[in-house]
Amino acid sequence: MEDVINHLEPLLRKIQGYIYPNEIELHWGILIVIYPYVTGLVAGAFILASLVKVFDVKELQPTYRMSLLTALAFLLVAPLPLLAHLGHPEKSFEIFLTPNKQSAMAMFGFVYAWYLMAVLLLEIWFDYRRDVIVWAQNERGPRRWFHRLFSLFSSDLSDRALKFDRKSVQTVTIIGIPSAFLLHGYVGFIFGSVKANPWWSSVLMPIVFLFSAIVSGIALVMLIYMLVTPMRRKEMDMRCLDKLASFLFYAMIVDFSLEILDFIHRIYESEESIGILAELASGKLFVSLVVIQLLIGMILPLGAIAVVKLFGVPAELRRLLYFVSALLVQVGIFSTRYNVVVGGQLFSKSLRGLTSYKMTIVGVEGLLMSIALLLLPFVILYILFNLLPPWTGTGRGLMTPPEGSQK
Amino acid sequence: MNLPDQLSRLKSLWTRTPEQTKRLSLLLVIFVALFLPLRSLLIPADFGEIGHYRASALEENAEQHIHYAGQTICFDCHDDIVHTRNQGYHRGLSCEMCHGPAAAHAEDPGMSQLRVPRDRGYCPLCHEYLASRPTGFPQIVSASHNPLKPCITCHNPHDPVPPETPRDCEACHAAIARTKAISHHVYIPCARCHETPEEHRVNPRMFRPSKPMNRDFCGECHYTDAAGSEVTQRVERDTHGARYVCWQCHYPHLPEAK
Repeated sequence: MEDVINHLEPLLRKIQGYIYPNEIELHWGILIVIYPYVTGLVAGAFILASLVKVFDVKELQPTYRMSLLTALAFLLVAPLPLLAHLGHPEKSFEIFLTPNKQSAMAMFGFVYAWYLMAVLLLEIWFDYRRDVIVWAQNERGPRRWFHRLFSLFSSDLSDRALKFDRKSVQTVTIIGIPSAFLLHGYVGFIFGSVKANPWWSSVLMPIVFLFSAIVSGIALVMLIYMLVTPMRRKEMDMRCLDKLASFLFYAMIVDFSLEILDFIHRIYESEESIGILAELASGKLFVSLVVIQLLIGMILPLGAIAVVKLFGVPAELRRLLYFVSALLVQVGIFSTRYNVVVGGQLFSKSLRGLTSYKMTIVGVEGLLMSIALLLLPFVILYILFNLLPPWTGTGRGLMTPPEGSQK
Repeated sequence: MNLPDQLSRLKSLWTRTPEQTKRLSLLLVIFVALFLPLRSLLIPADFGEIGHYRASALEENAEQHIHYAGQTICFDCHDDIVHTRNQGYHRGLSCEMCHGPAAAHAEDPGMSQLRVPRDRGYCPLCHEYLASRPTGFPQIVSASHNPLKPCITCHNPHDPVPPETPRDCEACHAAIARTKAISHHVYIPCARCHETPEEHRVNPRMFRPSKPMNRDFCGECHYTDAAGSEVTQRVERDTHGARYVCWQCHYPHLPEAK
């Protein structure tokens, strides 16, 4: 009991106005912030990859496989915050054994499994099959066995087989785009359908989530490309970077417009909750919403990329501006997720008071765990880059660009 | 079409199928072949018979030891108390709310005694002041509401009545009022002995009430020659207490106290 009192006492001091007794402590903390953030990165990175295959944006070819592997690394980590938050991860597979069609959250397991198995892994498999066979022929030891297993002991390198690979990648990508939309739209749907919460309950929520996902995914792949290329002592492809920045810019404009639309709509509608929401936005969420999400995460990067587009900026400065913009976008989108998840629980259902969120340092729901969960995808990505090098022309010196990815 | 023809058609279809499809299909077949038996093995046999849960979970719950008896059984022995409770504000409460699980007591009253919460900690669980309690619900701040006194000293839990709001002197001098209430002086109004300026209500320390300052004041009722009831205690004017004022020896709010 004393522990509970010690835990709640500092929160009680930060309560403003009137709240119900069970609203002092938030039920969803930083882990549930990380979850939509990571899922958004997956969807965004995949949609970026599909630009190359479906919309034939040749300039983005250098980031195609990188995007796929990024999506995979982050997708593997995406359920971990949920498992950590819910506890009993050993029981999680049961949602697949006895699917509950009444539960939107339980059905999300199938959306996740579909996206992982039927879209992402399949596309990576078809795209890498030829290279993996070639790598395996010239390798020894566990690496050779990994590549043989990865190719499912396939060996057919005939033109007919390669053509089939290319067509399959195309088909999977076309199925993948609505699947990626579904994956992240679904997260927005879950929040948007909580009708008792005026901060979440909005039909725009899935669409806003989706576009913010695209923004964050493009920015992440841009960051990874700009970090990995110098580490490999290679020259950055400026055409690719410019194109990435352009798509980032367009996606941000759509995202920004949607958020503003949502904002104006709420103000014009002026439901009974508008008073407390205004107090929330101008008080407890002012820094994370107005300063970080809007100013640092949206307006500054938009301005920086606009400057690059309007004025002839030298390549080196352009790279710097792109890098800083992509980094700020990541901070901004993380803040967006925080504002949605935590912000939605800060005000009382009585609409007359605000509570506070206090994050712990250690523990399953703590800061250290969150940092570990955010770093884990990069560790997985490092392993994936090592096992399945996404850049052509390297990878034990054997690679030639696969025909499929040159198209 | 004869069998060899059919076989050769199948063989040619297998040859024309891309290698990738064969391998992925095989993987899918292995996955399904593993998943389906594993699924039927892991799902309890009675899952989904009634709803999205194990039907036998109901039986397991039903087999749990019963602790509560239900309030109708209390009436069999304690009908007078139940009757009192049913007339009062606690009529909506079950007996076991305060007295705890009573199944064992109902089974064998001699072997199991029920809990009787007599300390101050119990009633405030419902009656401690909390902003979110319904308007009009009786609430107290236990730190200042007759501290140290158990609730049952003043309130009968089987028939709690709303406390009378203290009026006049009692509002501030509740302890004296309660003492006087059980004394022989119960019917004497405070103002009979204490002349109280009107300003005392607003500024009690600046404008103090008076006290009887001579023996004759009490003597109006207590001297042997005084008029009044015969049962009133009498004293001799000249011999009793000599030079002292009465309240130096007798506490006027409870004069029978020794």
